[in-house]
Amino acid sequence: MTFTEKYAAEIEGIIARFPHKKSAVLPLMHLAQHYYGYMSDDAMREVAAILDLDPTHILSLAGFYTLYYEEPVGKYVLEICNDLACALRGADQFVEMACNKLEVGVDETTADGLFTIKTVMCLAACDRAPMLQCNLKFEEHLDEAKFDALLARLREQAAAETIETSVVEKITAYAKSGNQVSVIGNR
Amino acid sequence: MSDLITLTIDGTAVSVPKGTLVVDAAKKIGNDIPVFCYHPKLEPVGMCRMCLVEIGLPVRDRATGELVLNADGTPQVNFGRTLQTGCTIVVSEGMVVRTNTQPVDEARESVIEFLLSSHPLDCPICDKGGECPLQNLTMAHGAGTTQMDYSLKLKMDKHVPLGELIYLDRERCIQCARCIRFQEEIVDDPVIRFHNRGRSLEIVTLSDPGFDSYWSGNTTDICPVGALTTSDFRFGARPWELIPVASISVHSPAGANLTFSTRREAKSGGRSVIKRVLPRQNENVNEIWIHDRDRFVHQFADAPDRLQKPLIRKNGQLVEAGWEEAIELVAHKLNGLGEKAAGLSGDRLSNEDLFLFQKFLRQGVKTPHLDLGNRTIMGGDVTAKVGISSGSNLGELGQGDAIVVVASDLHEEEPIWWLRVKQAAQRGATLVILSARPTRLDKFASHTIYYRPGEAVATTRQLLNAAKIAVETAEPDPIKTAADALINAQNLVAFYGAEGLTLAETDTIARLLGNLLLVKGEQPHAGRKNNGLIAVWPHNNTQGAWDMGIHPAFGPGYKALDIPGKDAAAIYAGVQSGEISALYVAGTDPIGDGLLADRGKLDFLVVQELFLTETAKLADVVLPAQSWAERDGTFTSGERRVQRYYPAIPPVGESREDWRILAQIGEKLGLGKTPFAASLVFKEVATAVPAYKGMDYRSLARVEEQWPIIGRSDLYYGGTAYDNKHGLGQQWAAAAEAAAVESFDTADTPTNQPDGIRLIRAAALFTPGTLINHAEVLAERLAKPTLWVNEADASHLQVADGYVVNVAVNGRAVPAIVQMNGKLLKGTAVLRGVPYFPGVVQLEVIGNR
Repeated sequence: MTFTEKYAAEIEGIIARFPHKKSAVLPLMHLAQHYYGYMSDDAMREVAAILDLDPTHILSLAGFYTLYYEEPVGKYVLEICNDLACALRGADQFVEMACNKLEVGVDETTADGLFTIKTVMCLAACDRAPMLQCNLKFEEHLDEAKFDALLARLREQAAAETIETSVVEKITAYAKSGNQVSVIGNR
Repeated sequence: MSDLITLTIDGTAVSVPKGTLVVDAAKKIGNDIPVFCYHPKLEPVGMCRMCLVEIGLPVRDRATGELVLNADGTPQVNFGRTLQTGCTIVVSEGMVVRTNTQPVDEARESVIEFLLSSHPLDCPICDKGGECPLQNLTMAHGAGTTQMDYSLKLKMDKHVPLGELIYLDRERCIQCARCIRFQEEIVDDPVIRFHNRGRSLEIVTLSDPGFDSYWSGNTTDICPVGALTTSDFRFGARPWELIPVASISVHSPAGANLTFSTRREAKSGGRSVIKRVLPRQNENVNEIWIHDRDRFVHQFADAPDRLQKPLIRKNGQLVEAGWEEAIELVAHKLNGLGEKAAGLSGDRLSNEDLFLFQKFLRQGVKTPHLDLGNRTIMGGDVTAKVGISSGSNLGELGQGDAIVVVASDLHEEEPIWWLRVKQAAQRGATLVILSARPTRLDKFASHTIYYRPGEAVATTRQLLNAAKIAVETAEPDPIKTAADALINAQNLVAFYGAEGLTLAETDTIARLLGNLLLVKGEQPHAGRKNNGLIAVWPHNNTQGAWDMGIHPAFGPGYKALDIPGKDAAAIYAGVQSGEISALYVAGTDPIGDGLLADRGKLDFLVVQELFLTETAKLADVVLPAQSWAERDGTFTSGERRVQRYYPAIPPVGESREDWRILAQIGEKLGLGKTPFAASLVFKEVATAVPAYKGMDYRSLARVEEQWPIIGRSDLYYGGTAYDNKHGLGQQWAAAAEAAAVESFDTADTPTNQPDGIRLIRAAALFTPGTLINHAEVLAERLAKPTLWVNEADASHLQVADGYVVNVAVNGRAVPAIVQMNGKLLKGTAVLRGVPYFPGVVQLEVIGNR
């Protein structure tokens, strides 16, 4: 089943929110990425076909935004902020600890395909650093113990096949909220 | 003159139209503000910061609004604290611009240093080296040293194919986005874009095939560095070795102006060869753009299988012979044959060739039977009367004007016209499209009317009738609305093509549209500047063929003949019946085109050609002709613009100009001495064809200054397109410009409209053909025979995407790949990527896989 078929209702809901179909591109890319695991060329072509855009447009957006992955990633993407403020609160050491624990480097995925570690720029939670974003969900005030607990929880979920993600909820909620985006002024 | 704004640039006062940008105003007085991302044909973006200048505005008293004056009586000028980008600032009254101050010099130096931070120093092997804006501006404004650490230079991929025609060198790219903006703004093919950010930024494509646009080559012209290069020229030559030669498109009816870059080189055996083709500026024709067929098709000129020597059939075999023997033989065989002989020509030949072709047959061989070998569209006699008026420029159409396009897919048939019409619509012109199917142009149309294949004439007639009636119809009718929009427009241009039409139908449509241009009685559209009819001819010189009298019923200059000769169809029938015993074929391939099965009962067949075509293989005498790249001559565009082209490379083998061959045989038949040069033949043309009166090779070579200024020392401004130094051509006046024209008879042309699914042929820019098949770089782009059907019809025919079916066309089976096309009307099927066939046929699928 393609993502177009699986999320037909959601896609329709998202597109309906905007005066121009094209504006629905980012949420649709999130949905496609969630469904396929990453933004493969085919996933990009699929999104482009839905919105009557050239596939190159999708590729360009995927390249611009760090939240779209063009290579396969683990089931959980741990995006640790190591921007200046976080670094001052020990983010770099935290990244090192996390990498050692999972036996991977930055931008690498564990052998079991569960975790990918990435470092990212500001997530706007400097006061709660070290922090990370796991599949769009914030985990804050972290230390080694809390990180261990997080990993244990995620592994448990994966074993039970109830992968925790906020992507679909967020997007579907967004699709259902029905708030119309209105055009301000004319182009 | 309130629309003029006066400002001062470096102490020089200049007056420019309202809305002009500072860089353009400076350009007008020869002050070259350096730019990279700015291009006069693109919207300004101010990305590269190269054009930073000091801009000051006169100070006004807030209370009175009066100018504040200095002690010496000059206006006080307030310069901002920072430099501003000259490419994004619009001029205003009293503005003062400084481009030669220390802050400006420092800014230029810094920007260059920054742009070079990861630029490689591979100028010695770079295609652009020698005509490179970055190189030139670095020499002019760069510091010569850098504070940057060389070890921090990024190493990036240098051979990234964006498709097989265009290559990207990532290190050289300075991220100006000219290419991306061109593809999006100008040609509406946004198939390349930026990927990633900052220093990792790169240009990518995800289209299939890569960089899927008919205009891709233009991005290499406007690229201000060597980041984008074409695969045919890459590492092929250095710019300073190239000799530019002016030429004209040998395919397209709009008559795009080209420049060949030629070089004499050892690896081609000491011959001069064409290394690349670039646009030549003609703002009335193609501006500074050409499509990829015009750019890449030149390879046929030096193809190894070009005919080198005359061939004569001896003992059943074609063997090489001398010119004298061949000419004697042809003259001897044709002498006195009269009406037993006939001639067929192509519409790629020059006016000189075509004029002497008809003279040779009519006066030398004394036969009235001559025609184009493969005529696909009629109406030359109509455009001669109400064709687009002389002095017109499609680039001037906009708000208040209207364009109607009937039965033509301009994007495939003549992309230059597609671009010009699209831009006119974007400037506000009303665009009405009558078509059997959706095309790329529909997106820009205000009214789109689809008809069933076979109903083009009826629909056009409805449009004309609706335009004639002033009364309001009770119900809003799309045809009536469109007709009103057309007829009330200030200027009206009508295009018509031949998609899915029989010859007779194209003739009627030309006349109906002619009448549309005459509807407004006393003040008709026809005859006024920027008004008139344009036939979307299939070739570069179909217009010239009409003008020269390559028509069974017309002599040169549309002189109606008392007793018309046989047309091509009758000649083909005569070949089979034996009524025609000798046939002279020049620049056309009836057997290859499937119009003639074999030699029939011919006693004698002469073929004058570049290649050993299917027809040439069966000939008694084959005469090697020169291609247009080897000689000079003139073509007449679909806008009736007579344009000169010039010799670029030496003749292949012993080949001769088509007109010379005809004149030399004609000499034996008593037609007088062979002219020395094409220019003398043209003199004869100018005497015989009234509309060409006053034209000669000198008047056709006239130029005048054009905007934007390009191709001078400042390549950075407009790109590497060439300045036009060899002629803008001359448009001849249609009859309606001088005197009122009577409306045309439009007899009904009953056609057999098949029941069931109707099949039409659609043109494709890269449809295989004699010339294009020789262009190796285009091999992968050639259109494959494809059958478009809509889903309902597909299920009825029991076919699906990817099926290979044999389609019956005129009794021949054409294999084609099925492609579902949801946009087609039910009952309409389209065959694309196959040679021309006329009209509408019933789709018959013979077996499928």
